[in-house]
Amino acid sequence: MITNQSNSLFDIGFDLFRRISNEDFEYVYRGYFTHNITKKILFLADTNIQKVTDQSTLQKRIYYIMVEGLQNITRHQDEVKDHTDDYPGIFAIQKNGDQYFITTGNLVLNDKIEALSEKINTINSLEQEELKKFHREVLASGSISDKGGAGLGLIEMSRKSGNKLAFSFETINEEYSYFYLQTLIPTAKASENVAVVDHMQHSSLTSIKKLHQNLNTENILLYFNGFFNQENLLSLLSIIKGRMNMPLTTIKVSNIMVEMLQNIIKHGVQAMPNIGGVPGVFFLGQTDNDIVLTSGNLISPKDAHKLKVKLEFVNEMTVPELSEYYDKVLLDFELGDAKRTGLGFSDLRIKSDRKLRFAFHETNLGYTFYLLQTAVTIKN
Amino acid sequence: MKALILNASEDTPEIIFNPGENVFKVSKISVPENALEFYETVLDWLKEYLQSPNKQNVFEFDLEYVNTASSKQLIQVILSIQKLSEVSDTSIKWYYESIDEDMFALGRRFQKLVNVNFELIEV
Repeated sequence: MITNQSNSLFDIGFDLFRRISNEDFEYVYRGYFTHNITKKILFLADTNIQKVTDQSTLQKRIYYIMVEGLQNITRHQDEVKDHTDDYPGIFAIQKNGDQYFITTGNLVLNDKIEALSEKINTINSLEQEELKKFHREVLASGSISDKGGAGLGLIEMSRKSGNKLAFSFETINEEYSYFYLQTLIPTAKASENVAVVDHMQHSSLTSIKKLHQNLNTENILLYFNGFFNQENLLSLLSIIKGRMNMPLTTIKVSNIMVEMLQNIIKHGVQAMPNIGGVPGVFFLGQTDNDIVLTSGNLISPKDAHKLKVKLEFVNEMTVPELSEYYDKVLLDFELGDAKRTGLGFSDLRIKSDRKLRFAFHETNLGYTFYLLQTAVTIKN
Repeated sequence: MKALILNASEDTPEIIFNPGENVFKVSKISVPENALEFYETVLDWLKEYLQSPNKQNVFEFDLEYVNTASSKQLIQVILSIQKLSEVSDTSIKWYYESIDEDMFALGRRFQKLVNVNFELIEV
């Protein structure tokens, strides 16, 4: 790996990218869930699902389960409000081959664990027909006023997915635990073998829990692994707007994100032209002083050298020198290519006021994995 | 001359160039992948407007996001406005949010590159 510097946030990029294969995606949001963020997450997930499947029943089911899952998070969030900053929740949607997984992880009071487990175990013990009946009974008993406490959402999640709900609790301290809940939604092509499905769900839940741990350790606020296009860029931008409670930094981060993600779209290898996007990974991490932005994607090996030269050129200049160069390029109308302005890297370096970090890594797919990282100093 | 009105899309700005009401405004966001294509219409319109402009023109830019591809086209728009300023009383108002130092910096950059009455206005 050619790299000019290294830290753990940087190394994690390639590991994250390798988690999934080309036609799959994984989108994880970690943080506080507001109404607006929930809306944007749904939109982002939905547009990505529409790209990879034309089964409208499946799309609807997934959407419905996402809504229930997100509502579950916000409901629990209200109960533990004072602690969500220290222990942020997680929402993940993953497409892995013929299966979709929707996972939520959120803080719950330890004294709720027993009741929750009991509810889910009851639901899991019922067959589809019995579930329907149970659903009607719970509705009729009228206990829904208890903030959905009757578990109607859980029943619906199980019904819509046609699968058992996987769940698990991770103790945090005497008062709280993380509650993980996962629904598996198979596509029409997926295996119906119960043992296979159980195994997949178990390993997926374990992998998400591990991922959540890593995201917590590295303080990663947002992680998107999938295909990048203009639509996703705009959705991610609006999620960022709601994610961070520091307007000055958020604007800077957004401005940099635009160039960074368009850099992926511009240089990335379009491995799946029918999806209309470039496979890549993007995540935002927070350290004591900075918000760190990292992008990674596949490029053709012959572009790697060109990019490296450009990046080094930009890094060698001071910001005032670069600013002069920027003006020159801006006024150079001979550069006719609409998408290649030759300004992207300069812009990133000037806006972030620091050198850009990058690495190239040969993969066995005939492509080169290209990582780019910059950061914004947190100002309030 | 007929006004040029382009509604904002999710990644292209709203353009209102209306000589009848003497309003010239570019607003919202400008982050298209292909900015050249989008701004071609705008530049063509300005070229024609230059033939018979109003006596007084104020061009307002009130943008939230601008990608580098758009900057490259916006400088062309601004250079066209400079041409206009040679034949009529023309000025530019560049609005920026007080917390958006990048939008201020872009306005400042454009201001230095052209010779036209160019005002940076904090909102």
